[in-house]
Amino acid sequence: MPRLRLQKRRFGPFPDKKINNTTTPTRLMNYCWQDWKALWHARTLVWTMTRRELASRYAGSAAGVMWAYLQPLLTIGAYFLVFDVVFAMRMGENAPTSRVGTYLVVGSLPWLAFCESLSRGAGSLVDAGGVLQKNALPPVLFVARSVLAGWVVFVPLMLALTIAYLPVSGLSWALLAIPLLLLLQGALALLLAHVLAILAAAVRDTLQILGFALSVGIFISPVLFPLSLFPQAWQWVLFANPMTALVLGYQSVLLQGAWPGLVVWAITAGWLLGLAVLLNFLIRRSRDELVDWL
Amino acid sequence: MKSDLTSPVLQVRGLGKRYRLFASPRDRLKALLGWADNSKPHWALHDVSFDLKRGQCLGVIGDNGAGKSTLLKLLAGTLQPSHGSVNRVGRVTAILELGAGFHPDFSGRDNLMFAGSFIGLGQGDMLRLADEIIAFSELGDSIDRAVKTYSSGMVVRLAFALVTAVQPEVLIIDEALAVGDQHFQKKCSQRIEAFRQNGCTILFCSHSLYHVRQLCDQVLWLDGGKMRELGDTESVLASYETHVRLQDSEQRPDASSSGSKPLQPEAGTIDVAKVLPGRRASLLNAKIIGLTNETKPDVLATLRGSDLVIRVQAVSPRDETPSIGVMLEQFQGVGITSVATHAEGTQLTLIDSQEGWSTWQTTLTFPDFSLHSGQYSLSFYLFDDRGLIVCDEWKDFIHFRWVSPSLTPGLVRLPHSWS
Repeated sequence: MPRLRLQKRRFGPFPDKKINNTTTPTRLMNYCWQDWKALWHARTLVWTMTRRELASRYAGSAAGVMWAYLQPLLTIGAYFLVFDVVFAMRMGENAPTSRVGTYLVVGSLPWLAFCESLSRGAGSLVDAGGVLQKNALPPVLFVARSVLAGWVVFVPLMLALTIAYLPVSGLSWALLAIPLLLLLQGALALLLAHVLAILAAAVRDTLQILGFALSVGIFISPVLFPLSLFPQAWQWVLFANPMTALVLGYQSVLLQGAWPGLVVWAITAGWLLGLAVLLNFLIRRSRDELVDWL
Repeated sequence: MKSDLTSPVLQVRGLGKRYRLFASPRDRLKALLGWADNSKPHWALHDVSFDLKRGQCLGVIGDNGAGKSTLLKLLAGTLQPSHGSVNRVGRVTAILELGAGFHPDFSGRDNLMFAGSFIGLGQGDMLRLADEIIAFSELGDSIDRAVKTYSSGMVVRLAFALVTAVQPEVLIIDEALAVGDQHFQKKCSQRIEAFRQNGCTILFCSHSLYHVRQLCDQVLWLDGGKMRELGDTESVLASYETHVRLQDSEQRPDASSSGSKPLQPEAGTIDVAKVLPGRRASLLNAKIIGLTNETKPDVLATLRGSDLVIRVQAVSPRDETPSIGVMLEQFQGVGITSVATHAEGTQLTLIDSQEGWSTWQTTLTFPDFSLHSGQYSLSFYLFDDRGLIVCDEWKDFIHFRWVSPSLTPGLVRLPHSWS
């Protein structure tokens, strides 16, 4: 079956283009690659769309975009207040830190950001159906916009948290792992959101299943309980949650001041690669019809 | 912009669009994941090829579901073809559905800036063009109000002004000439006409054959997703009109025998304010002089005398001069002739003018009515002064019978001589 070449497609208003269905791509991961190129090509537009997305979420409220930052801040503030100040709960042995609130905050903030990116990203194509049917734009822009809008909020908060945890982590080289972890989490969220968005376009049930998976997912992760609390034989199950390795990474840096272990990088890289292959497959199978499904 | 007049700006080769119809979303998921494909293929468009050069205007016609909109969306790039290729040169603007994508909570100006980036106009372009766009949309100070406070007409005006702010090389229009009120419709068609004068290539899809005739020099007739005919406007429209008539007569096999169609509605004095919703120009009254004044509803009025004299009245806002078209057809049959004042350079007579409204009248005479006996029907159209916009239409408004002194069969007695 002849396939459409992505390279010269879409971008209604951009000059001189061909829309054709006669060229077969040969490069490995060609479809993902073309989408990322389209994303880079339209980066100014994506940035405009991201700012717009944030502004529209809070349009009409007095505090405006501040709410995007206030919501997670208030949540982690409440954790800290309840567990460390009011109840002063302490963790058991072998935990990375002894104070429960301090422990919870490090895992919750990235997890909240991850959930937000996925749930907004997965619905992004379905929500943008009307716009996509009327404007010649690559669908990936809308997924990227939703994920990026979460990122603009999460990254400053995470950097602020890193500074706030300096008394715990101490000043060490390990802090340089934070930007790297943030970058990996961003890539992970973008790939997974794109996969889910395509699936949601085909079957809307995806969004319902995702909602359930995210509410259960926090228990299949070291966000609430340290890894040592899980039975040894079942610890591998936690890595079915793509965020487990990254949460371990954040905890290692912020609570212990230690560079994340090899397992963090290896498992995250495995997830990224697997998702990229899956995404490439899904784009190849859906591209001709994606907009028809919205 | 390419100045080469002979090289095509739009090249379409073997274009096809296949929709896979799935019985359930589950089947769609299976097909997406490559497990099983239980879909039924539906070709909305199949093997369409044509070239358009600079300045050409192609009309796309066809019945509902013939694939017109699919073709336009494929050309605009919003849909992906299953087959074939489209080569486009330069900026392509599509007027598909206006105002979609505006956010109700933001101001018109804010939406303008954002929507501009979707059609490839950056912040710099938009700052330069904004004043002109706002002026064209006639929104004035409302531009800084939230879009949710706008009327639907205002939204559409703003959207039209935006998408046509920059002249494209190819303009794709889907039935979009009906934008806003008549005053704005006129501005729209003038702008499109100006684009055309400047060498813009236009693709126009419409059910209004009148507009297609006015605007297009070539017509593509799509039937069931395939190209039925492509060629000069007149020849393709003629075949299409025949096709439509055949379709009509198949659907109503007994129509020709029914003569019980209601005749003229209450003619007489009409309250101008009542006829005019908003600021539309409208037909007021149309009648045949010398028609038997039968009151029995199921008896057809018969034309007396040898001339067919028709009097038509219309009202319009005071600053507009309308023109009137009349079409004479065989009842349930073929069209015989159509005449229009703007086409013949005739002015309507102003008979009244009050409160911003003008009332116009014209009398059309076909001397020595040379048709054979039969039932005929008259349709009336009101246009703007240049015949670009149809302001009002009364189809098959008068239905009458004519008994010709000649008893020989036929449709029309042409001038002739024996020797």
